[in-house]
Amino acid sequence: MMATIALILIVTAAVFQAGFLLRRENRRDPVSHWILAAAAVLLLASLVHRSIRIQFAAVTNTYESLLFFSAALCAVLFTLRMVRRTQGFSPFVLFGATIVALALLAISSSPLAPRAIQPPIPALRSFWLVLHVTFSFIGEAFFVVSFIAAIVFLASRGEDRRAEMDRLVAAAVGIGYPVFTAGALVFGAIWAETAWGAWWSWDPKETWALVTWLIYTAYLHTRLVKKLRGRVSAVLAIVGFAATVFTWFGVNYLLSGLHSYG
Amino acid sequence: MNAARSLYNFFKSVRLAVVLIIVLVLLCLLSTFVPQGRPESWYQAAKVLRLDSFFSSAIFLVPVCLFTLNLGFCTVDRFVRRARTRVQRRYGPDLVHIGLLILITAGLVTALGRQEATWSLAEGQEAGIGSGYTLRLLSFQFLRYENGSPREWISTVDVVRDGRREIAAYPIEVNHPLRLSGISVYQSSWDVNGTLRLKDSEGRDVAPPSPGDYFEQGDSRWVFVAYERDGETWTARFQRSVGGALAETRVLRPGDTVGPFTVTGIAAQEVTGLKAVRDPGLAPFLVAVLLVTTGLCLTFIQKRGDTST
Repeated sequence: MMATIALILIVTAAVFQAGFLLRRENRRDPVSHWILAAAAVLLLASLVHRSIRIQFAAVTNTYESLLFFSAALCAVLFTLRMVRRTQGFSPFVLFGATIVALALLAISSSPLAPRAIQPPIPALRSFWLVLHVTFSFIGEAFFVVSFIAAIVFLASRGEDRRAEMDRLVAAAVGIGYPVFTAGALVFGAIWAETAWGAWWSWDPKETWALVTWLIYTAYLHTRLVKKLRGRVSAVLAIVGFAATVFTWFGVNYLLSGLHSYG
Repeated sequence: MNAARSLYNFFKSVRLAVVLIIVLVLLCLLSTFVPQGRPESWYQAAKVLRLDSFFSSAIFLVPVCLFTLNLGFCTVDRFVRRARTRVQRRYGPDLVHIGLLILITAGLVTALGRQEATWSLAEGQEAGIGSGYTLRLLSFQFLRYENGSPREWISTVDVVRDGRREIAAYPIEVNHPLRLSGISVYQSSWDVNGTLRLKDSEGRDVAPPSPGDYFEQGDSRWVFVAYERDGETWTARFQRSVGGALAETRVLRPGDTVGPFTVTGIAAQEVTGLKAVRDPGLAPFLVAVLLVTTGLCLTFIQKRGDTST
């Protein structure tokens, strides 16, 4: 129920943003980020409710991870909108990222993500798993922003707009990268060692998480080379997000391994 | 001298880092689409290129070595430049680079020196796990949720060394291993060791079947699925299928019949699977992740500081 209301709120926010974009005033709407904040609170409340039911942090299946990712993205959008009040956070990026949050919730209501409340199997009952999942998704929420900003960068012609988007991509990756590194790689490896006795197994999910991390590492290094800065950086930010999505979703359905929990 | 300088400049280059990272990305992607460590002969071409054990093949290790050299040269170069110019620089990236060098070393140490062994123990049994340690299984518990799915496996053990009990009644659980000096013991599996005694229709004993064994009766196939515990009593679950479709499930006790057979006795015992691991790369791995995490935090904080000023 709470997830459904959150979905309606995100649709409402997207409609507001689209309305302002269509009026071509290049002015940001004053309310949609507050609606997104409300959606984030509702999604988190839904997860708290499930956590109470299973007596463990509810981030252990695809449905719950979709809800958490969407909530994290809404919270990140709200925060960036509040912090970057005067520059950088374009209405196009806010709208694009809102559509991603909406897509995540739409997938959560599809058969791909069964919503039955199931208590976690023994391997998932770990504090490190909770850190692994939550930090990874918070990092990835910033990658969503960098992805949309990189698309806007490539689609823009004006130098000012491109410079603005370039800064936004760099800022989003700059925050998302350390959080993702801690979550996906550091906490993930510590959890694997505690649960299975091997901190790295070249499991497909691990390998794809490493691939994602390497792409964003390459992105950060292209920022240090003048000739690579700009277009190449933006392409890497887009490819990095594609790898993020495949690591999370594609590996679960197309490749088998230790992370095949559904 | 010039050649040495050129080599130094080549290996410290950020462009080289970007190229090597992209090469490693492509190689890692390739690995996830080629099954690893399979014995089948259908991918001989992959075997020729050693793609079946990709991460220990030259195709992967050569770029990793070059990347390690690149990382090492970059790290040294940053220190040299700082010493020369005495400019206040960010230390975060240095910590990350050093952490990654230690991480690669830890991976190498683990690949070369990690040992593991597994034991199946019933209550009261012992296993020597090396370094003079012996585990004695006091009890094994299989906890379930209300819906029957597994909640926890708990192996409670005494640790004995040189005839002296060093640790008493330690519960080894999934995600809660037993840490001894240099050895960790993990809860890795569980099983049921049992004997199902059957007589045929003429009263003759038949060889005890194992879970997975089956017999045909008319157009039906009966499969012995598993031993199951019902309180203190052990039962045997059988499934009948017709044309591949499940037709019936039966839980049998002594005296029950299945097809032409009569159950005369079921003796079973739960056993725990424990895995002991000695990984000399674990300590450097922990140092590495500490350095990488600290380095990333420091970079972030310093960058925020620069932005706000």
